[in-house]
Amino acid sequence: MSTLAIPHERIVAPPVSFWVDARKRFLRNKLAVFALVLMLSLILVAVIGPLVLKGDYKSARSGFELRRIGDPQAVLGTDDLGRDMLRRVVRGLGLSLMLGVAVSVTVTVIGMTLGGVAGYFGGWVDALVGRMIDTVYAVPYVIIAFSILAILGKSIFALVIALTAVGWLQTARLFRAAVIQVKDLDYIEAARATGASQRRVLLSHILPNALPPILASIAFSISSAILAETIYSFLGIGLQEPTPAIGVMIAGARSSYTVYPHLLLVPASVLILLTISIVLIGDGLRDALDPKLRGAN
Amino acid sequence: MGSYLLKRLLQTILVVWAALTLIFFLIELVPGDAIDARSGEKANANAQANLRKKYGIDDPVGVRYVKYVTNIAKGDLGYSFVDDDSVNNDLKETFKNSSRLVFWGGAFQIVGSLVLGFIAAAKRNSIADRVTSVLSVGLQALPVLLTGLLATLFFGVIPNNANWQWLNFNRTSWPLEGWKLGVIPPGDSWKAIVLPAIVVGLVNMAFLARLLRSSMLEVMRADYLRTARAKGLSNRSVLVKHAARNALIPWLTAAGLSLVEIFGIAVQTESVFGIFGLGSRIAQGASLQDGPIVLGLSTVVVVAVALTNLLVDLSYSILDPRIRVGGGD
Repeated sequence: MSTLAIPHERIVAPPVSFWVDARKRFLRNKLAVFALVLMLSLILVAVIGPLVLKGDYKSARSGFELRRIGDPQAVLGTDDLGRDMLRRVVRGLGLSLMLGVAVSVTVTVIGMTLGGVAGYFGGWVDALVGRMIDTVYAVPYVIIAFSILAILGKSIFALVIALTAVGWLQTARLFRAAVIQVKDLDYIEAARATGASQRRVLLSHILPNALPPILASIAFSISSAILAETIYSFLGIGLQEPTPAIGVMIAGARSSYTVYPHLLLVPASVLILLTISIVLIGDGLRDALDPKLRGAN
Repeated sequence: MGSYLLKRLLQTILVVWAALTLIFFLIELVPGDAIDARSGEKANANAQANLRKKYGIDDPVGVRYVKYVTNIAKGDLGYSFVDDDSVNNDLKETFKNSSRLVFWGGAFQIVGSLVLGFIAAAKRNSIADRVTSVLSVGLQALPVLLTGLLATLFFGVIPNNANWQWLNFNRTSWPLEGWKLGVIPPGDSWKAIVLPAIVVGLVNMAFLARLLRSSMLEVMRADYLRTARAKGLSNRSVLVKHAARNALIPWLTAAGLSLVEIFGIAVQTESVFGIFGLGSRIAQGASLQDGPIVLGLSTVVVVAVALTNLLVDLSYSILDPRIRVGGGD
């Protein structure tokens, strides 16, 4: 504000685009940046870990021994089949990451298409999509996941389909609301008035303006897919031994974690680090992308 | 209001029917049947055929679908393929357990979120503000089953080993004898509900408290509140009459949806605490391909979810007149 003292200088900040501004606001959020660093290191571990820690992580070792954390041969201990926890959890981390990204892509594509169509066209299309969402929402997710996994077999691919089938609702709802909010604004009207085609109005005017709330929800869809894997595996309808998934490890810990807490605490800590970093990045994105907060601290 | 009510009611019936049909055909598409799941590898083909005949599994899909819908309309949920028990009996037992869990969990989440949300909004950066903020972020990153397992570890196993019985809440004495909905009998049995209810309610409690806080803060910046203050109304009156009423609208929708979600959360909680409830029974029935159990019990869940949704919409339209004028779509 010292510029006020100089009479003829213009008190105008250089024009800043929305995205530059959003990036600046994200980077100012210390927690979000910390989460981003944590996330990148977890990705690094998931990529490098399996290359460094070769050796068997799937089959039970004969004459096995359950070791606790801090054992010279197994830093994070071994599980009840004598398998190295570190080797398994590193692979579980990678699996969770891949699963989360895959599901968030499918969920976002399907949710945005259906939600966008419903919001833009309104009328019976909107009513149809709305009832579809209500219907899937009313069915217990256990049943949807169980049937899909039973029909397609308990594979990672089937899990992606199952998680998509229950996950698209939220994105569709959000994007529908965002499109409805944007579609009747004056600048859309102006674009139509200048003769822009429907396709152009949709892709270059409505989409970019309805996008910000969706970007944060992508982060959350990654973490909820990762959490859902643990839920399904725990309930016995998801992935199964010997897949080294985090959920499978937690489910396997169930019978003896009261005596050997590390069986639960090792996969649980990895899961928490992973999902908490995603949630914090998502929070940071949401705050950075919310135009209402623009200019606020 | 009358036509809005009628319209929403018809929509609800339509959604219930569509959901039940979806469940029927999803289960239908699963390869194999309950008889396979029940008899294992070395099954006698003749005995299996007889069982299929007995349960009507061999009838064409259309016939079974019609039978299913008409039986449900009559309130008859059929008999389990696996243990021949009446599904209605199973429902009574599991519903009793689940309703207790959902009731106390729901009460905890509603009351807790209102109290913490208001305090957090009225006193920013207070302890309540920080607690809800940490919980709401932290719990989004934890599946409920893990919260449950960690709770039994820290408030059951560890206190038990250290002989701190006052901190030991790990009682697995479900079903709870002598409990009525909303009434806890004297004695020690209240300890059995503490951890499950908190685990069921905690996630949404924190989320709802944050939501209430942020909508309160948003409302408090609004022009009409400045007007209210300018008129000379007391701070208390501004907060309660003007801010709270408007801030409660988004909270109410989310709270309603969270009561719907509680059924999903209850599945995990029941599974962790070994409670014989609706959700855990459905999951168990599904893995045994016990059609009548899955269909019968899900029917109840679907109806409960749809009714909760309906009630939420209606209360929302009472609080916010714009919605019923706009027709709700």
